[in-house]
Amino acid sequence: MLNRRHLLAGATGAAALSFPVFAFGQAHSTDKRLLVIILRGALDGLAALPPIGDPNYANLRGGLALQRADVLPLDSTFALHKSLPKLKAMYDARELIPIHAAATGYRDRSHFDGQNVLESGAATPFARNNGWLNAALGALPQSRPDMGVALSEQAPLVLRGAAHVATWSPSVLPDVSNDTVQRLLALYDARDPQLASVLHAAMGANAVAMDSGAGSMNNAGGGYRQIASLAQVAARFLKDPSGPIAAVMDMGGWDTHANQGAAQGALARNLGLLDDGVDAFRTEMGPAWANTAVIVVTEFGRTAAPNGAGGTDHGTAAAALLAGGALRGGRVLADWPGLSSAALYQNRDLKPTIDIRAVIKGVLADHMRVPNAALDSIVFPDSASIRPVQSLLRA
Amino acid sequence: MPDMTAAALAAHRFGFGPRPGELRAIADDPRGWVKSQLAPTQALPAAIAALPPAEDDLLAFGRWLVQRRLNNGNAQQLEQRAARQGVSQQLQMLTTEQDFIQNFRQRVSNAVGARLEAAMLTDAPVHERLVHFWSNHFTVSTVKPAAIALPPSFEKDAVRPHVGGRFADMLLASSKHPGMLIYLDNWLSIGPHSLAARYPERARRLPGGQRPTGINENLGREIMELHTLGVHGGYTQADVQALAAILTGWTYQRANLRMLLNQDVGARNGEQLFEFDAAAHEPGAQTLLGRTYAQDGVDQGEAALRDLAARPACAHFIATKLCRHYIDDQPPPAAVERVARAFARSDGDLRVTMEAVVDSPEAWATPFAKFKQPEEYAITLLRAANVQTLPPNAGVGALMAMGQRPYAAPGPDGWADISDAWLTADLVWKRLEFAQRFAERLARADIDPISIGEASLGPRMSDETRTAVQRAESPAQGLAILFAAPEIQRR
Repeated sequence: MLNRRHLLAGATGAAALSFPVFAFGQAHSTDKRLLVIILRGALDGLAALPPIGDPNYANLRGGLALQRADVLPLDSTFALHKSLPKLKAMYDARELIPIHAAATGYRDRSHFDGQNVLESGAATPFARNNGWLNAALGALPQSRPDMGVALSEQAPLVLRGAAHVATWSPSVLPDVSNDTVQRLLALYDARDPQLASVLHAAMGANAVAMDSGAGSMNNAGGGYRQIASLAQVAARFLKDPSGPIAAVMDMGGWDTHANQGAAQGALARNLGLLDDGVDAFRTEMGPAWANTAVIVVTEFGRTAAPNGAGGTDHGTAAAALLAGGALRGGRVLADWPGLSSAALYQNRDLKPTIDIRAVIKGVLADHMRVPNAALDSIVFPDSASIRPVQSLLRA
Repeated sequence: MPDMTAAALAAHRFGFGPRPGELRAIADDPRGWVKSQLAPTQALPAAIAALPPAEDDLLAFGRWLVQRRLNNGNAQQLEQRAARQGVSQQLQMLTTEQDFIQNFRQRVSNAVGARLEAAMLTDAPVHERLVHFWSNHFTVSTVKPAAIALPPSFEKDAVRPHVGGRFADMLLASSKHPGMLIYLDNWLSIGPHSLAARYPERARRLPGGQRPTGINENLGREIMELHTLGVHGGYTQADVQALAAILTGWTYQRANLRMLLNQDVGARNGEQLFEFDAAAHEPGAQTLLGRTYAQDGVDQGEAALRDLAARPACAHFIATKLCRHYIDDQPPPAAVERVARAFARSDGDLRVTMEAVVDSPEAWATPFAKFKQPEEYAITLLRAANVQTLPPNAGVGALMAMGQRPYAAPGPDGWADISDAWLTADLVWKRLEFAQRFAERLARADIDPISIGEASLGPRMSDETRTAVQRAESPAQGLAILFAAPEIQRR
């Protein structure tokens, strides 16, 4: 039996696999692209984006403190974990804005509730059933059949709502043989035009996805190790001229309660996968990267000090990342609260000083051109007092 | 004279498709076969009867919440507690995660298996489809963590007994079940002039330790928008506030968590766990949709819900949903009108109401108008293939891939009941993968896909499908084509 990749390339031919090259300087609003990566489980921001210049850092972090040799310095205070070399290269190319001490409005410590608030854009958990990204896409001209795509079996909350969105995911089920698909296409063409057109669309989407090597993800069972492959698929969809303008993907494995490691270990490996994922996306976007922004967010941070098991527990303020050729990068965005015990939130967590909604609103306003009135009401309900962060994008 | 065409339509449109041999039995009187399953009481399927009671789910969840609170509470308090108990914080954390997975993922997985098995084996598939319909109408979803354990017992306690009974009884059972009270936050609702508001220590603690404050409109709003009148049902924000006030104090028994935690699991069902907490109830009369409710206590809410169920907007809303489900995405107005009249005249008798659906000529005149939802599609194949037993945890992954994990509807409005939601590229592709995998598992040299197709579809199998199945290179491919054929995917 042929695998999906062969089958789809053969079935749909070259037409579905060719993409126009975006011309510089001619960008209009629909040339802008957005990828949102949700890190589920609460990323330890003090490990990913260590404030090694903070006088209290080494003492507070104890066994989890990173040494100078373990980090890639950004400025006098902050550095990137050394497992993030590709993000560091983006920083040097002014395409990355690391963000620190940021949080949603949520102040408790449940993953479910925290992710719900992060994605719905509302102030409290389970306040609504749609997400901020769907609401933002709905506020733009509906220029294509699906405004967004989720690289998962079901659209996550952030992408759910009234605006049309698609999903694509590598399958847990085995491939369908090329021969069977051809026979079904003939049957559908004869009996059921609607099913025929949907099956053609599926093959088109699979052809877009497969061309990035995602065919090998079938039955791989590798969990979040697929992040780089999935990121390439996301880029393929975003480059498709009639495809979506925003994509969402998830990455798990951040809930590091035990033995998270410092320079090396479980967390370092996961950071490396994230680094590979964003870089694979950048490479696949090609020239369209210049019109692209990536938002990497997590539901909340972790305790500032290690716990008794070499890990960290659920905390409050977190780190986030903005990447992309469209950004005015090469700087850290932080109003650093410090790590002295008096500066910690509830004597245990990094204190939030940036509302992550202000950052997202800044990207949605200046990059995606979502109207301010929509941002303040339907995208992030009742958020007029949370002003968008200015000047995140290149002029 | 036996009518095999009508039998196939009846079996797929009103049931989950026939098991082998069933079509002939239906063909003598297809309409009568459907109607014979609309009676108020049906025996509880064995797999469903074996599920744990709601109380067990609540106890397990309460225990988990307490542990979670230990883990995520104030750091200092937490350390003190851990030291006192001689347990490291880390150990407690791990225990919590394990406990959560064991208690709830496996619990819901078992319930999904029971639901699939009941639908796969039942001799009353019309009844079972109605259970699924009403369970979706009154959605309680595992997607909300606080309600994660409760949808199966909600379905068993609040939906099953009433699918052939009165709508108002189902509405009351739903609104009093801990599943709904938790899913739509009513257990957090405190009347602004209640004793519990004036003396906050009178408010009952939640399992997490805090006390709720303030009124919560969620259940009041959704009862009108999603359960009875529909979003255009003619109510205002003031009516939402009035119904929310009327329902304050509607909660479930949780007076003493410690006692509950140590109690043996009883056999009570969820509806019997309802409790009216007078201290949280907003005192005084309320005006809802122009009618004044001056009753004391729980009577006020019961009267208000019964009146909502009797309003013409409710009859129209329920009739529209039933006709959309059983006839067409765009329900024919004449059929809706007829069904709404039956609902109104019979005081919301769901047997009479469904008889009106079955007696609508439109229900028999729009073949293949509906595209099956993933779960009913999977059940169709299981029945067609005469599967007798399901391995543990079967189907959950495949249904998730096809976009419909049972008991996990994304919001309180339930799963969409129009083909647009399901006839999408990714979901249809996953169905083909499922069809092929299932076909490969079944295929043996002596299996005859054509006879399986005839037993399920009768004369409704198209010539094109028959030819495509006959020309397949193997029985497995023939079965895969049959299982992906339009007339199996639609009804």
